[in-house]
Amino acid sequence: MKSEWVLSKDHLSYWLRQLRNERELIGPLRDGGKDILFRTVDMLHEIVLECPSSLPSPKGFLFPQYEAMFSCRGLSLSDGSDGKREISDLRDRTRRVIFGVRSCDVSAVRLLDAFCLGKLRDPYYEERRRNTFLISLVCNNPDPTCFCLGLGTGPYLEEGFDIQMTDLGDRYFVQAGSPEAVRTVRAMNFFFRKPRKVDYEDQYEVFLSSKARFRKRINLEGPRQAILSGKVGDDFWQEVTDRCFECGGCSYSCPVCTCFTVTDRINPEGIERARLWDSCMFKGFTRMAGGVLPNEKRVQRTKRWYYHKLVHYPRTTGKFGCVGCGRCAVACPGKIDMARTATKIKGLALKEEVE
Amino acid sequence: MRTASGKRTKAENIYLPVSGRIEEIRKKTEDVSLFRVSTASPLRYTPGQFFMVSVWGAGEVPISTASLCEDDLFVEFCVRKAGTVTGAIHSLQEGDRLWLRGPYGNGFAVGRRANGDVLLVAGGIGIAPLRPIIQMFAKDGSAGSVTLLYGSKGPQDVVFMDEVQVWRSGGIDVILTVDRANCDWRGSAGLVTDLWHRARVDFSRATAYICGPEIMIKSVMRDLSLFGMPDERIITTLEAHMKCGVGKCGHCYSGPKYICTDGPVFSYKEIKEYSLLG
Ligand SMILES: Cc1cc2nc3c(=O)[nH]c(=O)nc-3n(C[C@H](O)[C@H](O)[C@H](O)COP(=O)(O)OP(=O)(O)OC[C@H]3O[C@@H](n4cnc5c(N)ncnc54)[C@H](O)[C@@H]3O)c2cc1C
Ligand code: SF4
Ligand code: SF4
Ligand code: FES
Repeated sequence: MKSEWVLSKDHLSYWLRQLRNERELIGPLRDGGKDILFRTVDMLHEIVLECPSSLPSPKGFLFPQYEAMFSCRGLSLSDGSDGKREISDLRDRTRRVIFGVRSCDVSAVRLLDAFCLGKLRDPYYEERRRNTFLISLVCNNPDPTCFCLGLGTGPYLEEGFDIQMTDLGDRYFVQAGSPEAVRTVRAMNFFFRKPRKVDYEDQYEVFLSSKARFRKRINLEGPRQAILSGKVGDDFWQEVTDRCFECGGCSYSCPVCTCFTVTDRINPEGIERARLWDSCMFKGFTRMAGGVLPNEKRVQRTKRWYYHKLVHYPRTTGKFGCVGCGRCAVACPGKIDMARTATKIKGLALKEEVE
Repeated sequence: MRTASGKRTKAENIYLPVSGRIEEIRKKTEDVSLFRVSTASPLRYTPGQFFMVSVWGAGEVPISTASLCEDDLFVEFCVRKAGTVTGAIHSLQEGDRLWLRGPYGNGFAVGRRANGDVLLVAGGIGIAPLRPIIQMFAKDGSAGSVTLLYGSKGPQDVVFMDEVQVWRSGGIDVILTVDRANCDWRGSAGLVTDLWHRARVDFSRATAYICGPEIMIKSVMRDLSLFGMPDERIITTLEAHMKCGVGKCGHCYSGPKYICTDGPVFSYKEIKEYSLLG
């Protein structure tokens, strides 16, 4: 069975309206100026599809920057001997559909699935993930910073998506990649028609032309090998680090990064235990009692970030901890980013070979 | 898992603590107390494991199990007042609630001492995770080859001074040392690493369990390795900043390992292999 259809562009907003009856609709919207953000869609015509990649990534709908975990009422700080106490689990159970997700971000969600739903399941992520339906769009026009091509995480996916749509000009080629996606399309099959030969041909052409438009052609395997073979010394990392402002922008904008901290907040209704995004680029990230800082030097933190993504991730999962979305390149004020660092490592390795 | 009110939550939540009751608090030194905590449902834990212990409103911190799990009904935590959360724990009284989730971590794989001598090296509060091992060997009774080298700041800071006699009569050779002695002090003065000659162990056949400040751990491991102790039998428990205890928050990530789930107990061999100590 091939779960493929064609949707006329005239029908898109009707279809989305239908989907919105059951779920909160999230899409890429322009935020005043140039910024693209994933937000709840009020007006369907405000969705922007011809735009650069969103910043931040849509990961916030699965792993929000601030997420309340528990509320605790009837407890004083000293946690008195007994009395009524009520702990509520604040898992978000909102059903959402996110429209216009990029392929790289879908690939990132797959990495998050493996990490968060592995041996021990993160209940907050799990609940949101179960209730979130992703509709991704093949990138016809990659940004100058994109390099998913070299990682196989975009610009289109062979599998792993819910619904993947390819813009064919006046219509979309629609592929359903999960049983729920098939059900979703079938439930409103009056919007869709079966693809014809010409639709397949057009889709293939879009794939080809998209691939041809990538300005960055970066493979992370070379840099990984170079690191493993000891060609990348601490002086290299020091050079990279010299430009780091320790702002954490790289981790926050990265759709694969998931480090968090936990905090208790006391408010009039009770106590809230919440988690927030954190970054291994911060000095205090590894602070221990007594003020010992294992990663005191900035260079150790830079190395940690890159080693995690380039060396440890492949070792434990077989995949890189990067999907080539290019956001770190946009976010970093010091012009440090995965693509640039990988290119530099490659240059380093080449230089050594020549010498 | 059950919430405090006894209601079953929909699906298990690895971050949900259960409530425990503080049965007893024993002040050990100026800033260290021992908390005996019971829970409604039975507890199963092994030496070297830890719990995420919390006080609502203050936060959650990792604390090692300081007792031997015998009747499943309680666990003891030996807590040093070091900051916000440990401070809040110290402000609690007997009968108050302490919230727990765990046990987490791999723990020490302590066998009975069938093959070779045992050397325990503790520094300061580092005695806490070693106490269940000591208790286990002391109860075992048979004479001989278990030695504890235990260093503290001063005579007032020896955390389990009141138990040393019990351990000794259980056949454990307890060697105490302090950084700064006073005239009442009958033990040694100086660092634990100055006292190797006092430990009556066959280093090449012994197993060492070490816990203390990082700097102490490093030099103890280096010395023992030099004395011919095999690296895989030099065992320590590492400290790291921990926010979750279950391999998700990323704080304890070191080299390719999560100290919370892959550790906190590692051998010198692993520490070298994964460069876990910088
Ligand atoms: C596996 C494991 C087992 C452990 N077992 C035990 C145990 O059995 N007993 C025990 O007592 N402890 C144990 N610990 C250590 C314990 O978890 C810490 O002491 C505790 O987390 C401190 O938390 P806190 O909130 O009390 O201190 P915090 O308030 O977090 O502060 C800790 C220290 O850091 C300093 N500090 C605070 N803010 C900063 C800053 N911004 N920059 C630099 N320094 C700062 C403070 O002065 C203080 O000294 C264990 C740790 C681990 C990882
Ligand atoms: S975004 Fe750039 S400057 Fe900011 S922490 Fe990351 S590497 Fe450093
Ligand atoms: S490392 Fe940079 S390019 Fe790679 S996924 Fe993260 S933000 Fe995107
Ligand atoms: S404590 Fe959170 S990952 Fe180890």
